[in-house]
Amino acid sequence: MAIDPAERLLNLIIALTHARARMTRAQIRASVAGYEPADPTLDPETAARKDAAFERMFERDKDDLRRMGIPLQTVVDPAHGDEIGYRIDPTDAAMAPIDFTPAERAVVGLAAEYWADAAVGADARQALTKLASASGATPAIELPLSGRASTSGDALAALAEARSRRQAVRFEYHAASSGSAVRTVEPWTFRFVHGAQYVIGFDRDRQAQRSFRLNRIAGAVKPFGPEGAYEIPDPLPADDEHETPLQTATVLVRPEAGHALRRRGRYLRTEDGWDVFEVDFRYADALRDQILMLGGAARVLEPHGLAASVEHHARKALEVTDG
Amino acid sequence: MAERAVPRVTRLLGIVSFLERNGETSFADLAAQFDVSEDQIRKDIATLWVSGLPGYMPHELLDFDADLYDAGIASLTEGQGVTQVRLSARESVALLGALAAMSATGAAPDVVNSAIAKIKAAVGDEAIATISPARVDTEVVSALHSAIATRSAVTLDYTNARDQRSVRTVEPHRIVTIGDAAYLECWCRKAEDYRTLRIDRIATVTPTGESVEHPPSDEGGFSLAPVYEATVRAERDARRVFEDLPGVEIAVDGDHIVARFGVADEAYVAARLLTVAPHLASVEPAALRAAFAASARSVLASLN
Repeated sequence: MAIDPAERLLNLIIALTHARARMTRAQIRASVAGYEPADPTLDPETAARKDAAFERMFERDKDDLRRMGIPLQTVVDPAHGDEIGYRIDPTDAAMAPIDFTPAERAVVGLAAEYWADAAVGADARQALTKLASASGATPAIELPLSGRASTSGDALAALAEARSRRQAVRFEYHAASSGSAVRTVEPWTFRFVHGAQYVIGFDRDRQAQRSFRLNRIAGAVKPFGPEGAYEIPDPLPADDEHETPLQTATVLVRPEAGHALRRRGRYLRTEDGWDVFEVDFRYADALRDQILMLGGAARVLEPHGLAASVEHHARKALEVTDG
Repeated sequence: MAERAVPRVTRLLGIVSFLERNGETSFADLAAQFDVSEDQIRKDIATLWVSGLPGYMPHELLDFDADLYDAGIASLTEGQGVTQVRLSARESVALLGALAAMSATGAAPDVVNSAIAKIKAAVGDEAIATISPARVDTEVVSALHSAIATRSAVTLDYTNARDQRSVRTVEPHRIVTIGDAAYLECWCRKAEDYRTLRIDRIATVTPTGESVEHPPSDEGGFSLAPVYEATVRAERDARRVFEDLPGVEIAVDGDHIVARFGVADEAYVAARLLTVAPHLASVEPAALRAAFAASARSVLASLN
């Protein structure tokens, strides 16, 4: 007698979409195919057990509707003893048509592969089904392109879900400088800078706008406090990162080496087997890393602090390996 | 195990929406559109056929043309207002996040950005606000795209992670992005083997006028197989270097982190470690430690 849960959910969606005003739990249980209606002939103990089973099933179904993105409205009608009723506003829920070219359709198909086995991969596959239903039949083509995530994406999905409900979140965050701490954040938006993913939001503890790199979030991102707890500023405040002044270094590079460094520098002369370049830089650490990565095929002449920092790193490395 | 309810009901809604919009469609075409078997489409239609409004009298159910059904064609005659629902917040970000990450490598074709724009317009949500692509040479990227499209071999000026420069002719197959970096999958005529080359290390791309002769690798890309597993213990300030390594696991231990990752290119990893040397406590195994020491000695030798 029990029908497939997908069939029950479908009937629930149709019933709530067509409900003239709303449906109460009792009406849903009595009339929607897939639920077992209350049976007045049962003994009280069995009836209580069946009631509890219905409540559990209905709560699960509500979670599923929510997960699907269906806006389930709760309607309280004082004329009916304040009992909560439910409905779905069809105009609020419908997926807009979307016309993809075959190549765009193929690109969208890469998204599910991108997350591989991460939980958010299931959400991406759901999204593909929805897009398939909203776009015309497009021939399948194969693109010479593929992508793979180097993070799980679960934090991204949890943050997006909380953001859509305007609900704050809590997570443990490993800041590069200040160690790990639990942060409470109102997520505003996401930024993809090169390959790194950031969430920008309001940090309640610091009482200020902050950005958090997603792969520094440890463990789960958990919703915290009520929904509808904040508004996202529009437009978003600009990042107040102060510009670091530009400096110039003199760098020696072995012939046929340091090709990236050569491209960003100005050639001065060649002496003692080194090509001498002038290189503009804003962040000393980034230039130092670039020199170190060349493993001796480049060295810094000026400024002295940068040259000393390169040497310090190499000496410290030998302490680790020899010590 | 039976398919879970949410994916199935999403497809059921989708089939109705698709048929409302596109008219009668063969089971085979629906199967291709929704990436399931024809048999599954048949079961889905059978389920839709017995679903509808409470009461479930014949005029309250979804209905299909029975003759066409027997001929393997879905033709919806009564949809009862069933329609696909818009993307949830998680679904939007799963899709846009993947595409934005690929776009942010700077090497994805323009079609990725046009797909992002269409999805954003349909979702009406600017959750992913900005994408700043990495600085890769746009001339290199577009030359690679057109070589792949025309199946043409190209000559590359390529510098590897050890800063060894080479000129090699390759048969380009595919662009893959892994995390924040983009790679070219190709057959290298010089090595006579498949190679995965980092696109930001390609300086120039020159057409050869010759065709691609070798098929793409069966490995399905991602052929940067780790040679061995490494474990590095470091102060947490060193974290930034490890978090970009593919497949890295970073555990926190007080003020330290312990990073475990596969090493595919020993010299490259050794050079990366050098950039955080003052923060390192230990490097395992001995092979990586030796490469790390060698790279530090070369730096010191250059100072004399």
